[in-house]
Amino acid sequence: MDLSRLKVKRKQFIPVSRMLEHMTQDLDFELLAGFQGVERPVFSWDVNRPGLALSGYLEYFANDRVQVLGNTEIHFMKRMRPAELANRLNNMFSFEIPAFVLSRNLLPQSILLDMCNRYGIPVLRSAMSTDEVISRIILYLTQEFSPETVLHGTAVDVYGVGCLVVGKPGIGKSETALELVERGHRLVADDMVELKRRRADYLYAQTNKTVKHCMEIRGLGIIDVRALYGVGRVRNFKRIGLVAELEEWDEKASYDRTGLLEHHLDIIGVKIPYMRIPVRPGRNVAIIIEVAALNQRLKEMGVHTARDLNEDIMRSNKGQTR
Amino acid sequence: MTEVTEEVMVVNALGMHARPAAALVQTTLRFESDVHINFRGNTVNGKSIMGLLTLGAARGSRLSVTCFGPDAEEALAAVRQMFASGFGED
Repeated sequence: MDLSRLKVKRKQFIPVSRMLEHMTQDLDFELLAGFQGVERPVFSWDVNRPGLALSGYLEYFANDRVQVLGNTEIHFMKRMRPAELANRLNNMFSFEIPAFVLSRNLLPQSILLDMCNRYGIPVLRSAMSTDEVISRIILYLTQEFSPETVLHGTAVDVYGVGCLVVGKPGIGKSETALELVERGHRLVADDMVELKRRRADYLYAQTNKTVKHCMEIRGLGIIDVRALYGVGRVRNFKRIGLVAELEEWDEKASYDRTGLLEHHLDIIGVKIPYMRIPVRPGRNVAIIIEVAALNQRLKEMGVHTARDLNEDIMRSNKGQTR
Repeated sequence: MTEVTEEVMVVNALGMHARPAAALVQTTLRFESDVHINFRGNTVNGKSIMGLLTLGAARGSRLSVTCFGPDAEEALAAVRQMFASGFGED
């Protein structure tokens, strides 16, 4: 399968407002000051604790990161004379800073809030502890900055293994997915599979927000799998563990007959087990994918049937050598 | 293998909805070349109805069409013609 023409999207920056929207929805972040600066861009997934910058050392100041203020920074600022603090902050603000985040519901010196209002630097606050705030922000930002792409195919959760079914238009991807749903599995996305990398080795498929769990079946038109089969047969998000490419049956092509060799496909930097499945009338592709998913689980549990059987045979042959 | 890219505009009043998407797919499927359509940074397969529906392209939207393959020129000409005619709609 040729993925060289796959268009990979990677965000250069995200506005603070987007981060805030997520953080207020799922976590308990509130915006204390600097409202007019919420469109400021965040360029890095990492955070910075600006202790050294507050003490006056501004070389190597990681200004482009979200600045986290915990107990240490807040109490350090409280010990400073107001004029001195204003001066330090002024120096810091000569750099572009995306936002400040306070942990533990800490209340900063009013001078910080006043200046952030004047400069338009958003100040966010959370009740969580500093280490939790930091790990949540980093987790969220790495997700936002991770590469993503859209693949023409179908994603189904089969026995807990996210299966990505790809192949030429008309080969029967949607029909295979429909049969899998019919057999009790869950549809993630049909036709347009949004793929996102998380961490270094996790690839996730996501449902498209516009078409949701609708699919197009030639001869029927557009159907809604959730409405027809219920919420139990759909999901919005699934880690991909297997790629199955459907292709036309070719007598001359050599397909994998033993399962000894393992093939992988690299999708936006994640290696996924990959198999080619020849299709011809009367061959039940859904069952083959079902078994492939089960076999994949078996392998992950340490049982590699093809290899184990072959090793047994080789051992027995060795014993009989005359 | 040739690759051609061109900008087309949605001229029909209702934009890219189910009927135009189906008509477009019917056309693109006749060609061997890959057809990709990009709008606002999202690229979709021009042979997929669901893909085209996700574009959310209203009248006046400018889409970038890329055809890649042995009959890319012909595919692009057919796509261009369909957009220009408003898919037979007002």
